Amino acid sequence: MQVTGMLYGSRLLQHVGFPATEVLGPSATEDEIQDLITRHGLIFIKPLFKGGVGKKAKAGLIGKATDLKVALAEKERLYFAEHRHETAYAKANGVTFEAGVPAEHEVYFSITDDTRYRAPTMTLTHRGGVDIEEIPKGDVATIPFDALTGLKAFVVANALSDLGAPKEIVSPLVQHLPRLWELVHHYGMTTLELNPIRLRADSDGRLTPMACDFKCGFDRDDPRVSRLGLPPHLFTSDVSDFEQEVNQLRTHQGQSDVFVINPEGTILAPTFGGGANSLVTEVLGDAAIISSDFGGSPPYDKMKAVAAICFRHFLKQTNVLFVVGGKSNNTDILTTFRSIGDALREAFSQQGPVPLYVVVGRGGPNLVRGMGYLADTCDALGLPYRFFGFDSAISEVVTYAKRIDAWMKAGGRAELARKLGVNRAA
Amino acid sequence: MRRQGVAGLPYYLGINSLAEIATRQDRIVVLNAMGGESRRVTPMSHAYSGGNVVFGVSPGRRGEILATPVGDIPIYNNVREGMADGHRFDTGVVYLPPSGVRDGAAELIRVNRDLKKIIIITEKVAVHDAREIRALGQANGVDVIGGNCLGVADSWNRVRIGGGLGGDSPQEVLLKGSVAIFSNSGGFTTTIAQYLATEGWGTTALISSGKDVYIHYAARDFAHAFRNDDRSKAAVLYVEPGGYYEHAVDFGKPVVACVVGRWKTKLTRAVGHAGALAGSGDKAENKERWFIEAFGTGGIYTPETPAASAKGALVTNIADIPRALTEVMRLNGVDPDFAPTGSLALKPWMANDQGLNLPTDIALPTVRAMAPYDAQINALSGQVGAVIARQPMKDKSGASVMDPKTQEARIHGHSVLDLALEPLEAVFALPLVRGIAGPDDRVLVNIAVAAEEILAGDAALAAAEAAREAGNAPNVVLAAALAMIGPKRVERALACSRALIDLFARSSLADGHDEGFDLSSITVDDATRALFLAAEADADDPRPEAMMQAASAGGGKSVFLTFLAGLGERVSRDAILAAICTTIAWRPLMQKRITRLTAETMPWYLRLYGVMIGASMPARHHQPGSLCGIPLEDRFGAWSVADVCFLAITGRAPKGEEALPLQILIGLLISNGPGSITGQGAKGAVAADGPQTPERVQINKAMLGFLTHSGFSHGGNGYEGIAFLLEQFRGVELKDPTVPSHGLDLAAMARALAERYDAEKAAAKDVGAEVPALPGVHHPVFRGEPVNFDPRERFIAAFMERRGDYNVFHAFYRELVQAMYDVGASPYVFCVNVDAIIAALLLALFWKEYKSGHLNEQDLETAAFTVFLYGRMIGSAAEIDDHLNRGRNMDTRTPPSACEYVV
Repeated sequence: MQVTGMLYGSRLLQHVGFPATEVLGPSATEDEIQDLITRHGLIFIKPLFKGGVGKKAKAGLIGKATDLKVALAEKERLYFAEHRHETAYAKANGVTFEAGVPAEHEVYFSITDDTRYRAPTMTLTHRGGVDIEEIPKGDVATIPFDALTGLKAFVVANALSDLGAPKEIVSPLVQHLPRLWELVHHYGMTTLELNPIRLRADSDGRLTPMACDFKCGFDRDDPRVSRLGLPPHLFTSDVSDFEQEVNQLRTHQGQSDVFVINPEGTILAPTFGGGANSLVTEVLGDAAIISSDFGGSPPYDKMKAVAAICFRHFLKQTNVLFVVGGKSNNTDILTTFRSIGDALREAFSQQGPVPLYVVVGRGGPNLVRGMGYLADTCDALGLPYRFFGFDSAISEVVTYAKRIDAWMKAGGRAELARKLGVNRAA
Repeated sequence: MRRQGVAGLPYYLGINSLAEIATRQDRIVVLNAMGGESRRVTPMSHAYSGGNVVFGVSPGRRGEILATPVGDIPIYNNVREGMADGHRFDTGVVYLPPSGVRDGAAELIRVNRDLKKIIIITEKVAVHDAREIRALGQANGVDVIGGNCLGVADSWNRVRIGGGLGGDSPQEVLLKGSVAIFSNSGGFTTTIAQYLATEGWGTTALISSGKDVYIHYAARDFAHAFRNDDRSKAAVLYVEPGGYYEHAVDFGKPVVACVVGRWKTKLTRAVGHAGALAGSGDKAENKERWFIEAFGTGGIYTPETPAASAKGALVTNIADIPRALTEVMRLNGVDPDFAPTGSLALKPWMANDQGLNLPTDIALPTVRAMAPYDAQINALSGQVGAVIARQPMKDKSGASVMDPKTQEARIHGHSVLDLALEPLEAVFALPLVRGIAGPDDRVLVNIAVAAEEILAGDAALAAAEAAREAGNAPNVVLAAALAMIGPKRVERALACSRALIDLFARSSLADGHDEGFDLSSITVDDATRALFLAAEADADDPRPEAMMQAASAGGGKSVFLTFLAGLGERVSRDAILAAICTTIAWRPLMQKRITRLTAETMPWYLRLYGVMIGASMPARHHQPGSLCGIPLEDRFGAWSVADVCFLAITGRAPKGEEALPLQILIGLLISNGPGSITGQGAKGAVAADGPQTPERVQINKAMLGFLTHSGFSHGGNGYEGIAFLLEQFRGVELKDPTVPSHGLDLAAMARALAERYDAEKAAAKDVGAEVPALPGVHHPVFRGEPVNFDPRERFIAAFMERRGDYNVFHAFYRELVQAMYDVGASPYVFCVNVDAIIAALLLALFWKEYKSGHLNEQDLETAAFTVFLYGRMIGSAAEIDDHLNRGRNMDTRTPPSACEYVV
């Protein structure tokens, strides 16, 4: 859950009265754009991405204009711009027009929770406007502070003194930057980065910090985020339909974190426990359709609902239904296997039979009863299966599931389809 | 207020040694003790730890208790009340919902000055709250462990605090030894301990740290306590990506680190730059490097490349931990704590390949599970056949489904189109065993059904004849016969089935046709033996010998028939019928694809099949030992079931493949899904008897349900198409409808009809009337294209074309739909529907008898109706068996609120 760019950034900053550059959205009329240029001389045209997208400037995705003609040409170039950075891919849908802020000083500022200190931590430099990793360490202040008292003016002042920042920027930053803690801490953010903050001089030479770019991440476990009233579509690029459906079931003491790893995968692995999930996802590689953690002793109804969503989205393409976890501590195996079995039976009723092989690796309370229930379900549905207890290495079981998948791809699925009487084309 | 922590650290840390993290002296209070997870876990932890929980808190539940095996834990509304009652504690365990965790931690800290540590089990605590909890703990000198963890345990002290490390039997997993475990994964904390034991390593302290952004008790804290714990000779760390918690940590003793999570890089949705974000520079690859450099191993330890040093080893596979640890400790000159307890090799506990031919390297045989699981699995395997959950089955079926798009019904996954191409003896058992019978089973089914068709002297025949003479339609005639085949008429056959299943259930027999099976292990007591033997009343029945002889001659292999033969005495027809059914049912029964109830009741169905076919012939055709003058022995092995059906309808033996169209027709008519009236009738009859007491359900009455729910509109309507064709071909010289050289101008006949029809339509429109649709033409689903086809008609037509078969009536239909379009009687080319091809096949089948006067139009109507009943009898058997196994008593009724009163 991330927001980047000034279109929403400037609105969020308004919650704590932090000044920001003037921004127009994609629906701005030519008159409005001309007016912005007239008043500010220079404007920036930036593609509008959903979610977190970095390194836009280096990719040449920020346009500048001092007249309407260039502004409109840049709008046309960037409106549907595509951007790939590391593993992230984004496609723009619109542009913003942001007023240029003439300034001598550019500041980088961020707040995040730093695991080295296990505390909220401010990162600050008066040499901003470029990537923070390109600035010499001696010019960057990284200061943890007390979460209970918050980011206080003296923390900022001390940091600027240590950095030897120009004296004219100290007072405006000490006045304004602490407000950003309120935005982070009280609205469910995990991180906030403003780069650059440009210090604009007014008519009598006094400087005002103006946020000119904005990035933040939200904690999806924090209900405070809803205080901001952000439109849900802002975060839609973060999750697939499937993830969205499952996440709606997230409740107390019931993990259901899922990611779609490969929409074309062939092993559907409802996994129990974060450790098992890591191992399974890593070993399965691209064969995995989803990465999931359904641990935390989910109740029957919730687990069945989650399984039903998994089956509705992915059962048809599945070669191996792989139910796996370590030796559970308190997750009741009968409950979870009963819910998966019942959901599978219902999925077959609704979608028709699917030729798949069921592999299980699990341990925990009521293990044999759970396995027995799932075995009976598989038998009733005509599905082949092999269940391993917790005395088989979980990684070996994962590898076994991959071997079954390979066999299914090499004709096993077709053979099973014939046995199940799945349509003649299968 | 700040308490003095470990000296020399820039932050507060109270736990100086792992020996202090979970002790018998710790006294615990549990917040939200009566919540779902705590109720399951806390009693076990309390008992295992010698009763260390002093009280629990659940607002509004003061006075309640949480029962445990070692005494009740009192519950209070809040911490202050518990303390006011004199309870003292130094450790808090938090099971509160995420939104309450921060306040719970604050309550513990503010109310109890003796507090030393808090263990937070709750997951999904907001980062906002975690920040403040950390600050609260630091400010007040309290160690926090978690959140999103499973707590801590100590194998030496036999204590666990918080979550359920060690599961429901901690003593099995928490074995005393020399290895400390620190794991980001709660589940894997236990799993690692269990894995270590396979190499002979036990544990000291186990810490489930959680893996939230704030890991309140982190690797650095653990390392300090580990160094100071003399019991711990080595440590295992399970580490996931994210955070710098393990960076540059000095453990001071050997460590095996397992870093997992390279895949997570794929999911990173990075925001901002380095320094502004956790998640860069702390990926799995980075963490692997930290450890490899610290250990000086130069790479990852795997069994193939055992990169290890005396300092430690890095693994990326949890299963490699035990061997890596053994290697590291070998370099330190330290032996395992005890003898290895087993291996981590693949050990399937349960498996069923459902008859698929898996390569041997993946078709791993099941192995005996460790105690006590072996006994539990053994108890499960004592159950013969599948267990199916019951549910209301009104308008539902686990046997059949009609695809609304293709209008193609499927029975147990088999399309009726495919079934139409199979011999009837291959299909008869399908409703029960859920598969198409193979060669052996076909022989056996044929014998079993043929033996039941001869009804001379049977009350069923008399009842059928009386019903026929009373002018009833064929469904009523057959119903009268089946009413005679009540529970007592199958009592012995079903008892024989039960006995055979009991005798062989514990044997290793997998396939009922395995005649090499060693029968010496099957011992029969006298009572069971007597059950199989022919009684005095059977003395005149020639069928047992004929059936055994036919099975032997026909190659119908059966362990159970061999078993009966081995009894050395004359066995009854019921026993043979049961043996045949058990043979057919055995494999799916052992594979748990069908229930024991289905296998036991199968003889009833086969007897009903035989009686239905037999009773459709007038009584004069039945003589002892023969039908229509054809001795049973002559039919055995030479006649197919379709041949007998042909005989029943026409009264003469079929020539060549004359019965093939009949087989196709019967196959096509097997089912239209559970919504058909016949399906409803059969299901309603089962529901009314009460499937939850299956022994009371009268299967013959359920068949009556289907028969009474067929009639002139449903089943008898097959004649409509025949009547239509007779009308079109009246006065036409047609000797053989199956040869193309018939000399008729079908196009002209079709055009004339189309023009007539179009004119009638126009005239009717003028007066506001409607012209009835032509039978066999058009379909509400297959419409709207320039040229339309019913896929079922196409399937049969394609089959006929492949065989080079011709049917003049079908050809006429194809001409007709084109002509209707050509003359403007239809907006597009209508489809020829499946009813048309059924009528065409039926009429061609009986054409010669009709033209010769052997059959009149009423006979044709009866014949068409009977063919429908033969087909639907198979589909109904599937619905009956399904409802019997799956349904609930009276589940087909409609609630009064859903019914309407019409004036």
